[in-house]
Amino acid sequence: MSNMNLTVNHNRSESGYSNNYSLLEMYGASDEEDKEEIDDHHQFDNVMEEIRANSLSSFVTPLNSQTIPKILSSDYDRYGFKKASLHQTITRKEYNEWFTDYSEYSLERMKKWKDLVNSSGIKYDDIPTRFPPKSDKTKKLIRRGIPSEWRGNAWFFYAGGYERLNKHVGVYDKIVKDTIGVKNKDTEAIERDLNRTFPDNIHFNNLPKDSKSVKDPKDIQDNDINNKPMIKSLRRVLVAFSHYQPQIGYCQSLNFLAGLLLLFMNEERAFWMLVILTERILPKVHSRDLDGVHIDQGVLMLCFKEYIPQLWNILGKNFEGEVISEDKILTKLPPVTLVTSSWFMSVFVGIIPIEAVLRIWDILWYEGSKTLFRFSLTICKYCLDNKTFKAKNDNDSGNTEFEQIEIFQFMQSYPKSLIDPNKIVDLCFKKIGGYGFGSISQDEINKCRIFVSKQRDKMKKKSLITNISEDERKMLNNDEIHDIYGFNRSIMNGVKWNNNISNKMKKRFSRKTSK
Amino acid sequence: MSGRKKTLLKVIILGDSGVGKTSLMQQFVNNKFSHQYKATIGADFLTKDITIDGNKQVTLQIWDTAGQERFQSLGVAFYRGADCCVLCYDVTNEKSLNNLSSWKDEFLVQSNVSNPQDFPFIIIGNKIDVDENKKISSLSKKLNNITNNQLGGLNYPVFETSAKDAINVESAFEVVAKMALQQEELNDANGNDVSDDYNDAINIHLEGDSGNCAC
Repeated sequence: MSNMNLTVNHNRSESGYSNNYSLLEMYGASDEEDKEEIDDHHQFDNVMEEIRANSLSSFVTPLNSQTIPKILSSDYDRYGFKKASLHQTITRKEYNEWFTDYSEYSLERMKKWKDLVNSSGIKYDDIPTRFPPKSDKTKKLIRRGIPSEWRGNAWFFYAGGYERLNKHVGVYDKIVKDTIGVKNKDTEAIERDLNRTFPDNIHFNNLPKDSKSVKDPKDIQDNDINNKPMIKSLRRVLVAFSHYQPQIGYCQSLNFLAGLLLLFMNEERAFWMLVILTERILPKVHSRDLDGVHIDQGVLMLCFKEYIPQLWNILGKNFEGEVISEDKILTKLPPVTLVTSSWFMSVFVGIIPIEAVLRIWDILWYEGSKTLFRFSLTICKYCLDNKTFKAKNDNDSGNTEFEQIEIFQFMQSYPKSLIDPNKIVDLCFKKIGGYGFGSISQDEINKCRIFVSKQRDKMKKKSLITNISEDERKMLNNDEIHDIYGFNRSIMNGVKWNNNISNKMKKRFSRKTSK
Repeated sequence: MSGRKKTLLKVIILGDSGVGKTSLMQQFVNNKFSHQYKATIGADFLTKDITIDGNKQVTLQIWDTAGQERFQSLGVAFYRGADCCVLCYDVTNEKSLNNLSSWKDEFLVQSNVSNPQDFPFIIIGNKIDVDENKKISSLSKKLNNITNNQLGGLNYPVFETSAKDAINVESAFEVVAKMALQQEELNDANGNDVSDDYNDAINIHLEGDSGNCAC
């Protein structure tokens, strides 16, 4: 037995900290859990039946000449979200106006994708399971949007889902079996969030009849909502994930990610996509100390400073108006990160309208985490450029706190109204007429992440830094401070910013401010 | 110097996940309740202008926070400068009641307020609309025990509310506003005292000098 344990430990999965499910037989060979087998088996069979039943159903309404009028006359969009809900500032009328054009665009996109898939020699019946290899052509098509009917499969393919799944055949079922009836802090938190994930989506809630209180945990037990197949799937995926990644467990916002995935793919695939996302694209962002949030927000702030200096002039201060010095960006994040950290944690789900979220997800799975930074910068800059905001801001200028609160509020509400995904994507990538943030490279982001992470580690180790008072800090001269923090005046010594885009942005801003 | 701005009072709502922090804020600010609030990630705030004691115009800036423990590491930025802290629990969830003192401690550590002993906290027990049998048994005894032993017996105002049925929400936030205004005035007074003393010291010195000359 002890031998076996050793082997098991040596064979931990690639994440380095996941609960080990890589050697399934060995794991299964342990016979400690045989006692309650019969009951569990019965429960397990039922669950497996449910999982299989769910995997057959598709939650996306396909687009064609029959369905488009139906979608237009419905209160709900093709994914089951309420067109006008309290989470969106868009009215049903505005939605329909947009959708009339966008459905045509989507049909045209579908044709382009069919052409590409056919010309790549990929055979398929209804929906392809393999997709064209990465190329400039494919990338271009991805950026213009994957047809929603194909999204689940395409995301899974480009994210490397097959590789993951093939290495772990049967593992999801096994985890589900192991976690039947498990109760702990994570499962408790999951229960509270199941009905608070997509309350405005018909698959996640009994809409429109909504008379019963869903807030009381005991109430929830009896509630019909709880027996919705989608809620059950969401519960299983989140519980399985918290069990598989004990370093993360359950973190609020994972419910939005799993929920969205489940609209496009079956449970097992959604589970592995969640694993890939939290391991590769958003490392440590959902971990118990939210270390990755601090790192990524630090990187985003450095990007603000480099690429949107005008915004940084407002945000790079504490509420007292004191400019946050470079060494402090990484220890005390500015207030605006309370807004932007949720953009990262939820990967824009609930932040911007659903179709725009999906377009960013298309690109994210294909191009990686730089996508998050590119679009965060795009949305921030778009907020800053907005006329209503500018007018407000001019009136309030002079008081840092008011100014910051103003932009805080604006950045929280305005993105909800960005109904046209093409606008956002164009702004992000177009060099002429857009912001050209597509030039920010993954290498740049990776280096920044390593840099910020190293600086944070250094600071954590030197307790001196955390205990140092403001007065003591002032007493140290500049060189000493930089010595302690381990970097010289040029904070980003290890990182080469993309000078091309950097200079361009700076020029543009100096032109604007001099007007 | 621009004209004096309306007094801005900053209020932080804390409490375990799912006790109804977002609902309380929405009910007070927008007079509405929905079953469709999503879990709060990060933090969010709303503002409301109100009049205190019939003549004092203030703007309440109410911060709604994420309840899950791990989000506290992001809290640092906005606890500072708070004028009042609302500690929430769910009358059907005993754990949320027991956690009140951790939330208080967390707030005091992060906000670094100058008067932790008499900083205004208020306690709100939400969801009183639910069936009696679902409520925490012998709630008032347990609550007393907590305020006396864990919260330092400081007689914080306690309100039982229903954000769903709009019971007591208005009156709770009225008290919040009054307490916050008091704290703000206290801070102002302290702040001014310090600088006034300093100025006075200089003035006395100057007056002395110039007085001598003038005489």
